[in-house]
Amino acid sequence: MATEDRTIDGFGQVSRTVGTVFRYLLLAATLIGIVALVILLLFVANDAIQPLTADPGWHLTFFATLVVPTLAVGGYLASRNQSAAAVGVGTIGLAVVTTMFAGGLSLIFVDIVDSITWAAAVLTLAVPTAAVVAIARVSNRSPLELLAVAVILYYVSLFGVPGPLRSVVGTGQLLPGVGSAVASIPVLPVDWMLLFATFTLPVAVVVRYYARQLVDDRTATAIVAVGLVAVAIAATAAPTAGITPVPATVLASVVLLPTMTYVTTTALSRPHDRVGLALPGAVFGGSLLGAVAVRTLGYAGPQAWVDWQFLTSAHSRNAIDAGLYPAIGGSILLMLTVAVLSFPLGVGAAIYLEEYAPDNKLTRLIDVNISNLAGVPSVVYGLLGLGVFVRYFGQPSGTVLVGGATLALLILPIVIISSREAIRSVPNELRQASYGMGATRWQTVKNVILPRSFSGVLTGTILALGRAIGETAPLIMIGAPDVLFSLPADLSSKVSAMPLQVFAWSSLYATPEFYQRAVPAGVVVLVSVLLSMNSVAIVLRNKFE
Amino acid sequence: MSGDDGRTDGGTVDPTDDDLAIQTDVSASVQSRDQRVASTETVVRAENVNVFYNDAQALNDISLEIPENRVTAMIGPSGCGKSTFLRCINRMNDLIAAARVEGNLFLRNKNVYDDDVDPVALRRRVGMVFQTPNPFPKSIYENVAYGLEIQGVDGDYDEIVEESLRRAALWDEVKDQLHESGLDLSGGQQQRLCIARAIAPDPEVILMDEPASALDPVATSKIEDLIADLAEEYTVIIVTHNMQQAARISDKTAVFLTGGELVEFGDTDEVFKNPSSDRVEDYITGKFG
Repeated sequence: MATEDRTIDGFGQVSRTVGTVFRYLLLAATLIGIVALVILLLFVANDAIQPLTADPGWHLTFFATLVVPTLAVGGYLASRNQSAAAVGVGTIGLAVVTTMFAGGLSLIFVDIVDSITWAAAVLTLAVPTAAVVAIARVSNRSPLELLAVAVILYYVSLFGVPGPLRSVVGTGQLLPGVGSAVASIPVLPVDWMLLFATFTLPVAVVVRYYARQLVDDRTATAIVAVGLVAVAIAATAAPTAGITPVPATVLASVVLLPTMTYVTTTALSRPHDRVGLALPGAVFGGSLLGAVAVRTLGYAGPQAWVDWQFLTSAHSRNAIDAGLYPAIGGSILLMLTVAVLSFPLGVGAAIYLEEYAPDNKLTRLIDVNISNLAGVPSVVYGLLGLGVFVRYFGQPSGTVLVGGATLALLILPIVIISSREAIRSVPNELRQASYGMGATRWQTVKNVILPRSFSGVLTGTILALGRAIGETAPLIMIGAPDVLFSLPADLSSKVSAMPLQVFAWSSLYATPEFYQRAVPAGVVVLVSVLLSMNSVAIVLRNKFE
Repeated sequence: MSGDDGRTDGGTVDPTDDDLAIQTDVSASVQSRDQRVASTETVVRAENVNVFYNDAQALNDISLEIPENRVTAMIGPSGCGKSTFLRCINRMNDLIAAARVEGNLFLRNKNVYDDDVDPVALRRRVGMVFQTPNPFPKSIYENVAYGLEIQGVDGDYDEIVEESLRRAALWDEVKDQLHESGLDLSGGQQQRLCIARAIAPDPEVILMDEPASALDPVATSKIEDLIADLAEEYTVIIVTHNMQQAARISDKTAVFLTGGELVEFGDTDEVFKNPSSDRVEDYITGKFG
């Protein structure tokens, strides 16, 4: 009896009141931020899409054909077979993200770079590259000799003979460059065939490389070959559906080819997860079925502001006719410029600072300053762009090049910092192993550090690009126009961007129609692009770590 | 450098057989040591080597001569400088900014600290195996071929890769998965892969820095058998914490004690039976360390 009393009373209680309060305060802090953001996004999305304007029958139809089957299949998969569910979600994600990519690329191929220019550019680079690789394979030349051969070949390919040296040599053009040679061929295959040869085939090579990691060589080749045939069929059959062949080729190459390959290779290499493919089946089949049912039953859909018209037309004085097309194109061109400028600079600096720089005062000074630069307000970078590129170098204000260069400077510190993180996370044992084998620093960087850290570097760069795509202030500073009625034709024409257009609608054209409808629609498009970029970054990070 | 000259198949004991491996004991390996052909050629010779990390002295006036085709063990308590000495031989200490080496260290009568010695070229003639298995995140084949690739060796690596994996007693276990990642192997297999990687370019000396300390007993005894086989072709210098291991596998033993001093160097049997100083005896018999 006595011993029992002691075990009951003997230990007493330790108060956890403060700890509990602290814990729930932390939870509240977490939730307030997330909930506020979600409410804001829902609010904006509601304004942009206006789901309540649809017939109740429309909602009911889609609820029955899309929501119920998706929830049923998704719930079953999530409870029974997690990896199959992941395959299903992956397929849907791949289809959605590649569709957005295809939209952007179609825009470029339809309105900015025509097929012949693209094909000429690709061949101009591919012909000398293939020649250099072939020479390197066949004969045993020293790197310096190869470099000399490469320089000559690229020169001839770009400019022809004698090219810019004409004034020195004093003769006329003896041999055209590859690009002008292609452009001067009198009879050319139709647009989409050029694109098929110079765009779809490279995509197919990349897709085959990834397929190769899941299935054997022959199967991978067969799958990709079937995909190529499907692209060709899509391009030929597109006009009957009212789509021109060029965007159809781009869409099929970027969406159909990778998605088909992902589905078949997964089905072949992971038989247990095959069932996961029911999820995309439910989603896409349900959407299609719902769309057909709604049309036959005559239910009206929501009067969404984010629709085909909004995505494909330029700004207009009437809010109902206004669209985001030039701004979308501008943002894509800016992104490409920023990526091309900031990736090599940022990654190069990161490799130097991590692998080569001695640990001295200068390095530490650079370290600290890069961190500080990452925090400098974007409007200051705008001023820098204005001062350096526009005033000092005399570039016209508000062009793609100036905007891209300014945004590249803005995200450069972020790219450097995140790339350094990725490079630093390569275990030191691997460096030791490589040096211990007698590898030079360059061989270690090339063979060990870069392959191992590449996905981290890429993730950081994509997230930084996401920052650049949302920037408004620097673009205003360098004089980018708020409103543009056509796509920029090249790097030195004026550019607008999505956030700038949204800003213009909310300030210059502040009628209720514009700021209640067009602004939310623009925000939805901008945020969708951002989220899909971030999701690519997250997938990359998870896949390779 | 074709790399396959004069290579013979490994030892008579099948090192993949766990039961045999576990039975390896002191007397057995002493016998096999005695059967080896005597060779008196010195491969590595240290003369008054001092190493400092900033101002702290890590090695104090080390002089010794390491014979060819023998296993030389370096033992001693933690922080005694035995790993530092190992890393002097292939100048891995160069990678540490704070480290400073004084004195002379000859590899085949060439002072590796001479101005005209390229540490990268030196490391290509001295293989190294580290404490934790550190295969590259590449395929098994690419791991073994790494040394050949960075040295720009021409031709087909298939034969050398197979030969190296056989010598590292790993071929039978991995021959069907050569193109799968080296990281999919178990810890012991990874360490044998690292040994295969180190011997593929046919180095003159193999340095091993506690190669078995992160492994379980079965994997450890496989590595120990492997080391005995390797000594037929290579000069092996091994750092170990484990005195029984040193006694089992080495021909020569160097005992380092705290302060970076070399207090004893000689034939392993001598060192363990008749240590010349009390401090060494105390360490070997486990009174400290």
